[in-house]
Amino acid sequence: MASSGGKDSSSPIDSNGRVGREHSNPEAISALYEDLFENDNSERPCYLPDSGQEDYSGDGDGVGDGDEDGNSPREIVQKGRGDSVVEEKGELNAANGASPEASATQMNNDSRESGSDVGTLPEDLDARSSTGNEDEIQEKDHEFNFRDRVRAESSSTERLVHLDGEMSSDRGLDGPPSPTSSQGGTSGYMAGSGSSSASTSSVSGVEIGTDQDTEGIGSRKEERGVWVPGKRHSQEDDSHPSWRRHKKHFFILSNAGKPIYSRYGDEHKLAGFSATLQAIMSFVENSGDTIHLVRAGDHQIIFLVRGPLYLVCISSTDEPFQVLKGQLELLHGQLLLILTKAVEKCFLKNSKFDMRPLLGGTDVVFSSLIHAFSWDPATFLSAYSCLPLPYVTRQAACGALQDMTDSGVLFALLMCGTKVISLVGPRKASLHPHDLLLLSNFILSSDSFRTSESFSPVCLPRYNATAFMYAYVQYLNKDTCLILLTGDPNDFFHLKECRAQIEIALRESDVLREVNNSISRGGLRIEDLPDSEDLVPPEGVSSREDRSSGDGASTSAFNSVPGAGGAAGLWHFIYRSTYLDQFVASEFSPPLNTRSAQKRLYRAFQKLHASMHDTEASGPHKMQYRRDENHVLLSWRNSDFELYAAFDPLAEKSSAIFVCNRICQWIRDVECEIFLLGATPFNW
Amino acid sequence: MSARKRTLLKVIILGDSGVGKTSLMNQYVNKKFSNQYKATIGADFLTKEVQVEDRLVTMQIWDTAGQERFQSLGVAFYRGADCCVLVYDVNVMKSFDNLENWREEFLIQASPSDQDNFPFVVLGNKVDVDGGNSRVVSEKKAKAWCSSKGNIPYFETSAKEDFNVDSAFQCIAKNALKNESDEEIYLPDTIDVAGVRPPKSSVCEC
Ligand SMILES: Nc1nc2c(ncn2[C@@H]2O[C@H](COP(=O)(O)OP(=O)(O)OP(=O)(O)O)[C@@H](O)[C@H]2O)c(=O)[nH]1
Ligand SMILES: [Mg+2]
Repeated sequence: MASSGGKDSSSPIDSNGRVGREHSNPEAISALYEDLFENDNSERPCYLPDSGQEDYSGDGDGVGDGDEDGNSPREIVQKGRGDSVVEEKGELNAANGASPEASATQMNNDSRESGSDVGTLPEDLDARSSTGNEDEIQEKDHEFNFRDRVRAESSSTERLVHLDGEMSSDRGLDGPPSPTSSQGGTSGYMAGSGSSSASTSSVSGVEIGTDQDTEGIGSRKEERGVWVPGKRHSQEDDSHPSWRRHKKHFFILSNAGKPIYSRYGDEHKLAGFSATLQAIMSFVENSGDTIHLVRAGDHQIIFLVRGPLYLVCISSTDEPFQVLKGQLELLHGQLLLILTKAVEKCFLKNSKFDMRPLLGGTDVVFSSLIHAFSWDPATFLSAYSCLPLPYVTRQAACGALQDMTDSGVLFALLMCGTKVISLVGPRKASLHPHDLLLLSNFILSSDSFRTSESFSPVCLPRYNATAFMYAYVQYLNKDTCLILLTGDPNDFFHLKECRAQIEIALRESDVLREVNNSISRGGLRIEDLPDSEDLVPPEGVSSREDRSSGDGASTSAFNSVPGAGGAAGLWHFIYRSTYLDQFVASEFSPPLNTRSAQKRLYRAFQKLHASMHDTEASGPHKMQYRRDENHVLLSWRNSDFELYAAFDPLAEKSSAIFVCNRICQWIRDVECEIFLLGATPFNW
Repeated sequence: MSARKRTLLKVIILGDSGVGKTSLMNQYVNKKFSNQYKATIGADFLTKEVQVEDRLVTMQIWDTAGQERFQSLGVAFYRGADCCVLVYDVNVMKSFDNLENWREEFLIQASPSDQDNFPFVVLGNKVDVDGGNSRVVSEKKAKAWCSSKGNIPYFETSAKEDFNVDSAFQCIAKNALKNESDEEIYLPDTIDVAGVRPPKSSVCEC
């Protein structure tokens, strides 16, 4: 079903029929679960003292994480449940009292006074229901007091949601490195929103999911097997307790408060909730500021303003602020990929523009991106990964693609799932890893690409967010997908020819067979980490390490493996090359064979990565060593690479460091197979 | 597009404190009325699905606070409204006089593209009070004002007795829809590949 695309400019997605709403895709991207595990925040970081082999500069963030240890997730769960009982009686006081953050006010410059609101809530409830005049507005700087200003209540059921916690605005974020603890106790109520006629309940979703560990109760079964993109719980709205229990919500709305996208539930039924979000954001905007973060109990509400669009994430997953914010940015990028920035013009002319119809059928694209946030390190590393291939094979693939870029193809891309086989583009301009991620997500999540040759308008937001280019997409076999990008909407038949030539060249050079071999071989395994009898520990390591461990523990200890896994209890690693913007992650092997263990580690790496990139004060070299009940984590960053490694919790620091050096050596030895070399450097 | 597209309408309700904005909305959405007055703080948001002719419409109703101290909420709240409902109390002259201010404030803040044709609807509420004996604003007077402002539709309502509430809101939805600007045209550009590309080897005419 080839179409030359772009004719019907009013709705490119629909007109090309590229994206379907319901897909059941047996070979979907990944089999990872979305939900799982609690206890995510029980990390006890411990930093390498001055003994790191590279310059070490600790930062406060990790320590802050550790401080939260005292908040037992279980306790919160129970309180959360208590709240939902109360809710049945009509008045809901969500998160009040269960909020570990409520009093954890650190480094607080302004918005101070409302900290006490938490304690005075009950009287206030009474007071406001009789007169409401207690609520005097105090407008100082950008103290934003929800309690005073944006309280919405459903008049029929008289439910109130209490949001306590902190809010950070631009100002707060500029200073301290940890936004999650930077601004103190602004508290207030938030909106009850009535739902449509039939429903009696009308609490707004700010207290969404006080219950820690029940994300997607309904979806759990269906996710037991292969993860299938698409919207879950599409019938829910903010009046359903189950909707509020989802651990991570994403919303896109217009700055008029009209819903555009919600991860869970029906956008139209969430119109009231959407209005509430807009009221909060616009209120802060009115005073010339921007709202970034609200902490409410164990929930973070992250806001991102992009032109006329508002993006919001409400999460109880304990991921760092920067990570969630990055996810919102990717979500926005995905939207641009589908529509370009041209949509912004529609809002300029008409602020009541309803954008939702333009996104018809794209639920799968967004849901699969959001799913990737929980399993694909590319989403936080800002790097892509390659399918491991013999050097000559990749060279042959690049050669086949290179020929085409001389004939009007802007970028030629050969991919296997989310992994790059080869990529060829113009010398001066290259694909940003995010563009690559968003493009491959768009293609992988839409089943129709798999079944036929396609030509679809796409926008690469980092390359040029204002305009479409056109993607010719064809699967060459079950896993291998060829993507040719062009600027010419009439190029379909030309690209079809290019594809035929590329396919011949690839078959002649056995690339496709090698791809299959590689898939069955898999990636790097920690068990295969080469022995390093010949690898002399660098001078710095042993000597400094000796000093740090005080008793001069010998590095020879690294061979005593305290648990399953690789050398010295190595479980997993991710290596990111700075110059290539590529990463390689080892395959999961025992004991990381459960989804929960894998996801726990993923989140730990996410956190580690965020803290490694947190402070501007950091020099070019940085190292962190953390130990918690689940792992020993080691990260190492210099001008060439970043390494994140996880070890058995009993692993010794000295041997772990030594193993990290072996990993780096190993990567260097095989880099021409696991990376795409010679790609032009990313220059924006 | 195959299925008729669902429409979302943002409806703002304005008027002095105590005229019955919240009560009207509550009567309309929840079929409930309370004699007790609870001042709205900031704004309340409700949604209601309605059928207007053959279209399924979701009304996103912004019930704003009439109390003076909230009147600075401004732009943020009014932006992108599809219809503005002005409410006064037929028993309170001041609330009627203030309609002019509410209307102007709205037009300034929301700055809709077509100021003259922006859909307003005026509701004169609490017609039930004292059997109409305490009434100070006559229907005639109200209607005269409405027609001077470009024929704004006018309804006399009672939130308490559910009089005219449904038909008022039906009119609100209808007017908002009528004003729907001819589908804002989304016109994406195609990338301009700076380099001149070589002529294609094969030009296909199909
Ligand atoms: N008799 C009668 N009383 C009404 C009617 N509508 C509202 N009221 C009463 O008027 C009082 C104020 O009503 P609200 O709906 O809260 O007024 P409001 O316009 O929302 O006021 P703010 O939220 O302060 O802006 C309440 O005590 C209502 O019971 C009506 O149609 N008839
Ligand atoms: Mg009110």
